[in-house]
Amino acid sequence: MSFLDTKPGIPLLESDDLVRHYDVNRGFGKPNATVKALDGVSFTLEAQKTLAVVGESGCGKSTLGRQLTLIEKPSAGGLKINGDAVGNLSDKEAKQFRRTVQMIFQNPYGSLNPRKKVGQILAEPVLLNMDQLGRKEREERVRDTMAKVGLRPEFYQRYPHMFSGGQRQRIAIARALILEPKVIVADEPVSALDVSVQAQVLNLMMDLQEEMNVAYVFISHDLSVVRHIADDVMVMYLGRVAEKGPTEEIFIKPLHPYTRALLASAPKIDPTQRVKAEPLTGELPSPINPPSGCAFHKRCPFATEECAKVRPELRNFEGREVACHRVEEIA
Amino acid sequence: MALLEVKNLTVEFGSEDKPFRAVDSVSYSVDRGEVLGIVGESGSGKSVSSLAVMGLIDFPGRVTADSLTFDGQDLLGMSAKKRRQITGKDIAMIFQDPMSALNPCFTVEAQIMEALKVHEGGTKKQRRERTLDLLNQVGIPDPKSRMTAYPHQLSGGMSQRIVIAMAIACQPRLLIADEPTTALDVTIQAQIIDLLLKLQEDSDMGLLLITHDLALVSEAANRIQVMYAGQLFESGPADSIFAAPRHPYTQALLEALPERSEGHDRLRTIPGVVPGQYDRPAGCLLAPRCRYADDNCIKNRPDVTDFNGRDVRCFYPLNDQGQPTGQIDGQSTGGTV
Repeated sequence: MSFLDTKPGIPLLESDDLVRHYDVNRGFGKPNATVKALDGVSFTLEAQKTLAVVGESGCGKSTLGRQLTLIEKPSAGGLKINGDAVGNLSDKEAKQFRRTVQMIFQNPYGSLNPRKKVGQILAEPVLLNMDQLGRKEREERVRDTMAKVGLRPEFYQRYPHMFSGGQRQRIAIARALILEPKVIVADEPVSALDVSVQAQVLNLMMDLQEEMNVAYVFISHDLSVVRHIADDVMVMYLGRVAEKGPTEEIFIKPLHPYTRALLASAPKIDPTQRVKAEPLTGELPSPINPPSGCAFHKRCPFATEECAKVRPELRNFEGREVACHRVEEIA
Repeated sequence: MALLEVKNLTVEFGSEDKPFRAVDSVSYSVDRGEVLGIVGESGSGKSVSSLAVMGLIDFPGRVTADSLTFDGQDLLGMSAKKRRQITGKDIAMIFQDPMSALNPCFTVEAQIMEALKVHEGGTKKQRRERTLDLLNQVGIPDPKSRMTAYPHQLSGGMSQRIVIAMAIACQPRLLIADEPTTALDVTIQAQIIDLLLKLQEDSDMGLLLITHDLALVSEAANRIQVMYAGQLFESGPADSIFAAPRHPYTQALLEALPERSEGHDRLRTIPGVVPGQYDRPAGCLLAPRCRYADDNCIKNRPDVTDFNGRDVRCFYPLNDQGQPTGQIDGQSTGGTV
């Protein structure tokens, strides 16, 4: 299966102007409205790197995850895995590619089937995708993966309800890893966990990245977690990218007003790190009826008339990509 | 005298002979104009202790305390009818999930007016005007049109503002906020916390802020209590408790935060999980997970003692360098689970 091998010089995951629109029914006699959940998102992900996708709820983070894992087909735009376009494959062809991109879901209490034992949960992806393996080999593979994520062998015969949140998330990670994917899309993998358990799971994810050479698309709203784990950060607002760049640069000097506001509103333990800024007013506008021009202009302290009229495109600034008309003045 | 005085509050569930202690002899007090933060992981008893103060623990749960007084009145001794006049009026509570705290069948107006009707009376017109005032006070844009809105028409941040309006409707003297921003985004969280602190300052309310977010509580509270598995582990002023933790658990929690680690280093974790109902250790509840634990910790349960002006439940509270004091050298076995 040559398409599964990493090709040098070609990014592992490449998204080009990815668009996903949903039609929503607004009631009898009214025309359907369109929700632009994802409205032109481009990025590349290199092997063994972590890209964090940050934003408030409703900004399209999870929709992006659904496109990347081929759960849904994008409305427009291209998606390449290992250089092969996968946007408009038939279901049969897409199945082969799904092995390379696996997913970890937010809530480990909802993502594991309560009627299946851990062994069965982990064996299912192998059964479906590696039918050349016999029963013995399959079980061996499951046990190997369990050992990798720190689950004891006797857990093989247990049901999900017998585990704590952190251990369940380990099962979910094992399920994503068992096919040896190149990319794992982790949709808020630690937000349902306590601080002490969150640290265990984050360490595990970082260890596994080194050991198995996977790349992560790490969807999260927790900025301190993102700063810790990610190489690059992509800040999204209402289906579009607001700012994109290397993690440390973005955290040290955020350029887009929205990134600034996000960083300033996150509480900090260290009093010297606290930024006294006016909190952002208003809430995320409805994606059915987004504001004209820059989607952020109604909440932005720097907004001008231009911002209300013209939509800013993503452009290069100081080695980063920022979608803001006034970035030169603000920086 | 403190506004709310809680001494040795214990909440038990389950059978009489083998009870499960969700809250185990917790003491604290909240003054007028003070913000007390309670932090802890899930299962630490922080919510249950506040529900006990509100009188919301139903049978078969059992609430006992040496004293539970609000403004000098004994809450446990009084009749249920008298207590109902205090809770909801002088003590109000905000719950974690605003979407499920509101009744989906009634308008915003009807729900806020209900609280006013029970506790303040007045004509319908007066109550409606007061409701409009309240919505203005909590910063709801276009409050007139929101009055007749149903909860499903509101966003999460907006619903939480409604819940806050409902809680402050009768000008409470103590407000208990149980994870008020956990279900909200960071930018909305900042707005809601600012609003709560402003209301608290304006009316000199006592505020009990319960959360699992260490950073949030360190910014908002005057004093902080750290809870673990139903017990109070450490309490002290907000500015010093996280700068120089005295309890190994507080120290370990801080070290597990991603913001405390540099670059791609691994985080220092606390091994194991919070003990549940059936695996409570005999000695110190943290002993199996504590890196400083020795035989004494495994066998005996420490009491809360005063250490450098901080209440700490530990045999070997930490010094300024973060090292345990009073331990005999070489005896420490460290965490083993």
